[in-house]
Amino acid sequence: MAMVERLAAFATTAKQKDFEWDFTKGVESYETWDEIEIGASGPGMRVFEVTEDDILSFNRSCLETDPMLVDPEYAAAHGGLRQHPLFVVQVVFWCIDTGIGSWLRSPGARNPGQHIELFEPFVVGETITATITHQDKWIRRDKTYVEDEVALHNQDGVLKAVWFTRLIIPPNRAELVRYASL
Amino acid sequence: MHFADLTLGYEFPAVEHQVTQDIIDLAAVAHLDFNPVHTNIPWNERAQVFHMPDTAAHGMFTMSMMASVVDRHWRAEGAQIRTMQTKFTKPVRVGETTRATGSITELHPLGPGRNAVVVAVRATDSTGDVVAVGTFRVAVPD
Repeated sequence: MAMVERLAAFATTAKQKDFEWDFTKGVESYETWDEIEIGASGPGMRVFEVTEDDILSFNRSCLETDPMLVDPEYAAAHGGLRQHPLFVVQVVFWCIDTGIGSWLRSPGARNPGQHIELFEPFVVGETITATITHQDKWIRRDKTYVEDEVALHNQDGVLKAVWFTRLIIPPNRAELVRYASL
Repeated sequence: MHFADLTLGYEFPAVEHQVTQDIIDLAAVAHLDFNPVHTNIPWNERAQVFHMPDTAAHGMFTMSMMASVVDRHWRAEGAQIRTMQTKFTKPVRVGETTRATGSITELHPLGPGRNAVVVAVRATDSTGDVVAVGTFRVAVPD
């Protein structure tokens, strides 16, 4: 079965349906390791309006079965829907898109490990904005690493979470485009 | 569960899943992470980012399993994961069974409303190789 058909079987939310499912497309506009300026900072391309469907879809993708995470009616009757601690991942990938921090989408990337700080759960109805700052980049064992700080605030300026996104990515645009065109 | 009752070495029940392509695809859609290394089967045959022709699970899916070790066991008790630090040591090839475990390595008796523990978490694949390690700081009820 083709990739798009496979993925379509799992897309249940408006955000998932309104998203580019092929990260090899648009690489010309992605940031590359050699071009990243440490200290540069800016907002994500999109804001994330938290819906119950967003939380449910993420919880289910973590293979959770607890009704507090996957049964909205049960959860509503028992104190409210809980969210998996990694829900922040969906928020960040939605917010970043093709602007600052877009290296996160790089074909050919490898994930060496992550650091996430959670301050408050996200709440249905909140509008979350991302502030992305290029924190560090380095070479280790001939691999090119980059790290951003992605701070997530709600509409009232309350800090909800910070994800220090880190990947090993292609060192330059030529290598990024080569991976994308394979 | 109360902080005073917790002990160093306390082990959490393991979380284990076989990582099929369906599960990888489900994660891709939910994470909004459509990197071809996870979703594009023919691309992986050509690119071999991890020196293998297969797709690989999202590191963040492995990390979600590691978080579930703590969250599933203590969710109803009111514990909350505050900080998650992980290192991924081996890609998880499609079809592998991943097993995540955790144990308390630090107790932080900081006072009412501030007590916390550190949980060392790790994940292994079907061969027993470690695919990820990490430390989670967890706020726990007094």
